[in-house]
Amino acid sequence: MSEAILVVLIIVPFFAALACFLSRSTAFRAFIVIATAAMLAISSLLLQGPLSPDAGLRWAGIIDPLITGGDFLLLAIMFYLGCRYRHLLIIMLTAGQLGLFVWLEFFVFAGEQGHALFQVDVLSLTLVRVVCLVGSLICLHAMPYMQAHERHLQLDRTRQPQFFAVLLLFLGAMNGLVLTNDLAHFYFFFELTTLCSFLLIGHDGTEEALGNALTALWMNGLGGLLLLLAAGGLYRQSTQLDMGGLVAAAAGNHAALLPLSLLLLAAFIKSAQLPWQRWLLGAMVAPTPTSALLHSSTMVKAGVYLALRFAPAFAGTLLAKGLMLAGGFTFLAAAALAIGQRNAKKVLAYSTISNLGLIFACAGIGTSAAVAAGMLLILFHAVSKGLLFLCVGTAEQQVHSRDLEVMRGLCAQMPFTGMIAVLAVLTLVVPPFGMLLGKWLVFEAGADHLVFYLMLVLGSSLTLLYWVRLAGTLLASAETTGFKPEVQPFLSHFPLLALAGGAVALVLAAPILYGRLLPAGQSCLAGRDGVLMTSAGSFPLVVLFAGAALAGMLALSAVRQAMAGRKVTAYMAGANTRRADYFVGPMSRPVRAVVENCYLAPLFGEERWTLWVNLAAAGLLLFILGGALWK
Amino acid sequence: MEVMRTAGLSLATLTAAILLGGLLSAIDRRLTARLQSRQGPPLSQPFLDVIKLMAKERMVTNPWQAFSPVASLAAAAFALVLFALQGDLLVVLFVHMVGGVFLVLGAMASPSPYSQTACQRELWQMLCCETLLFLIAGALYLTTGSFRISGMSALSEPLLFRLPFLFAAFLFALTVKMRKSPFDLAGCHHAHQELVRGVYTEYVGPHLGLLEIVHWFDVVLYLAICSLFWATGSRGMVLLPLAAFLAVILLDNVAARLTWRWMLGWGWGAAFVLSAVNLFWLKG
Repeated sequence: MSEAILVVLIIVPFFAALACFLSRSTAFRAFIVIATAAMLAISSLLLQGPLSPDAGLRWAGIIDPLITGGDFLLLAIMFYLGCRYRHLLIIMLTAGQLGLFVWLEFFVFAGEQGHALFQVDVLSLTLVRVVCLVGSLICLHAMPYMQAHERHLQLDRTRQPQFFAVLLLFLGAMNGLVLTNDLAHFYFFFELTTLCSFLLIGHDGTEEALGNALTALWMNGLGGLLLLLAAGGLYRQSTQLDMGGLVAAAAGNHAALLPLSLLLLAAFIKSAQLPWQRWLLGAMVAPTPTSALLHSSTMVKAGVYLALRFAPAFAGTLLAKGLMLAGGFTFLAAAALAIGQRNAKKVLAYSTISNLGLIFACAGIGTSAAVAAGMLLILFHAVSKGLLFLCVGTAEQQVHSRDLEVMRGLCAQMPFTGMIAVLAVLTLVVPPFGMLLGKWLVFEAGADHLVFYLMLVLGSSLTLLYWVRLAGTLLASAETTGFKPEVQPFLSHFPLLALAGGAVALVLAAPILYGRLLPAGQSCLAGRDGVLMTSAGSFPLVVLFAGAALAGMLALSAVRQAMAGRKVTAYMAGANTRRADYFVGPMSRPVRAVVENCYLAPLFGEERWTLWVNLAAAGLLLFILGGALWK
Repeated sequence: MEVMRTAGLSLATLTAAILLGGLLSAIDRRLTARLQSRQGPPLSQPFLDVIKLMAKERMVTNPWQAFSPVASLAAAAFALVLFALQGDLLVVLFVHMVGGVFLVLGAMASPSPYSQTACQRELWQMLCCETLLFLIAGALYLTTGSFRISGMSALSEPLLFRLPFLFAAFLFALTVKMRKSPFDLAGCHHAHQELVRGVYTEYVGPHLGLLEIVHWFDVVLYLAICSLFWATGSRGMVLLPLAAFLAVILLDNVAARLTWRWMLGWGWGAAFVLSAVNLFWLKG
């Protein structure tokens, strides 16, 4: 049973992608995407850990050569891309990877013992469900979106077959990456997500898209090279590629720290941590489903997953301390950069980078409570951020701008999308929802480290500011009439509703999940009666949730009463005109009252700070490397 | 039984907070009046004001303005109850924060330039206050090894002496929260400033009445946090917040208004640095 589910999760998306790619029929493609999404969603829910260690082992004779062949194919494609776009860096990085890979595969890894191929524990299970549920919903949303997108671009020949093929391939690659227990296989899936992201970012084929796609390719190519180096180094320590075994063998082994630090650098690049944020910021030129997928359920989550997976191996070392500080710094600096942004998508991008920094810091703190907090953050961030990207993308398609000031009052133009976006923001900043719960766990787990705690405090206050400002801007409108429902296809509505439901209600599963993520001895800390416990405090989740629900209902009834009452216009110093946002100006002429947000660009602008922030982050990366070498 | 006790305690807390909050507001108005050689209103005036507001017509420029006060009040009440139950200070602060979030969201939902401009200032003010409050939570953890407020009773000497800078920073946050000069930037009590009543401009009638109660709750919560600085005896727990409250009122009457840029630079920047230094001493 489990083997069959693994096949559906990893292999089926590959064939579905192929079918999408080959067929020109819209109906057939829709069928394939919906069927794959449904299959992935159901299979991910059916999958149960732990697997027997010999699951899939009888196929190892086929899987190994297939993946090795796949590696060569991927590297060849990347090499070709480098040559085609005359990108020397990509050519060099790929050539380096190729040489290293040949040497490792045929001379070093050859004597490797057989081991369990897959690992299904709470960590991988949670992430697989995130990939399959959130990712599938994004794929569904992409169908009407891409139709509108191509109508807007007025293409002669649809490019949707490629697009959906890559989307599905991406989901398969992520599933493989999360479920595999073999570091060499992990490398293959890691590279595959790199290639997929290149294809998705460059999909529109404009000069800007291509340039940004190439940036993503070379940066992540460097990540691949570092991962390969790390795999070689770790193999030298304990002659195995079994990831579970590697973690156990590396713990307490000082010589394993250098490869582990390379591994972390690779994870940093994959998760677009400072100073590697450029590729993720550039990825926003792509159609919205790409951003939603890259930011929420795939790609960037691969990096933090790797760090959390290997966290026990370096817990308590100077390396871990460096990781905690680097993560904390990214959390703070990216939040500060988001304050100065009026590009709505960039605010979202910086917030992703910032939150991922927090998850890296969890891996750095390294206690089981911190790692559990990191995992919960991955889950809740994926749902809320995926939702928010879909909303902003839909809005962008309507208002043809990413400028937050142009989206001002979106809730009046697009009540459904706008309100869901506001709800998504609330699930990111307001208790009892998931992100705040996760952040609370980080506060409790990180309070022993004062410098990190200070970064955390500053970062969270900044985070609150840019989110509230964003939500408030979407709400700001002179409209007093009731809600006009938007006319949208079902496939646009449904993913938004499903994700919104998840973003609100999933937090109720947090106590169970948290209890499972903690080791057996500590599960008494997980709490009961809906109260989450740590060694330093408690979070009355169910009571808060019930209180929030009750308050929400009361507030909605207040809204109903107010809407039945008299409509008034805003205070304009007594010089109101008939239009709500105008006042009587000089010469009795109506003047529009225009207000914009205060972005305080001189203090928080990215032009001013990116260089310095990158330098500081690079210093912290050196600290991580140094922490690995220091006795 | 346990549930009944919790419910009873919650109810008692909220009743006491309303009475105390209103009374403090009345004292504030009386004292300020005396400082300005006026008679000032009777002590019941704030309560009568709120009752009158509650009886007025509901009007909004955007339905969200009806949603916000209710959500804000719920959050403020929840935060107070959690504090009274000696829960986790971090959770208290997170929940308290929600009140501010909804106040801003409701005010931003209106096209009014006064309200919009004030919201930007309110956000900067929230940034300052949140940062400082979370540092106080950090100090609690460093001294007691836990974020639970109940841990405070184990202390043998008042925190105030070990946290002078942080307490000074807290007084700054209290001034901001009580919407007093020199930091009544986003909405002062008197509608004669350049932003009229700032974030409150577009709230009228019952909605404004609810927000007034939210303000009372917030002030009470801040004073309760202030009492943590002298948690070793009941006398200190009453006198310290009272002294802080009176100091803020005095400051309000002698100080001119400062700009929000000044507030951000000194209040957020300098206060943060000093408080951080203080925490490093505490960690030792």
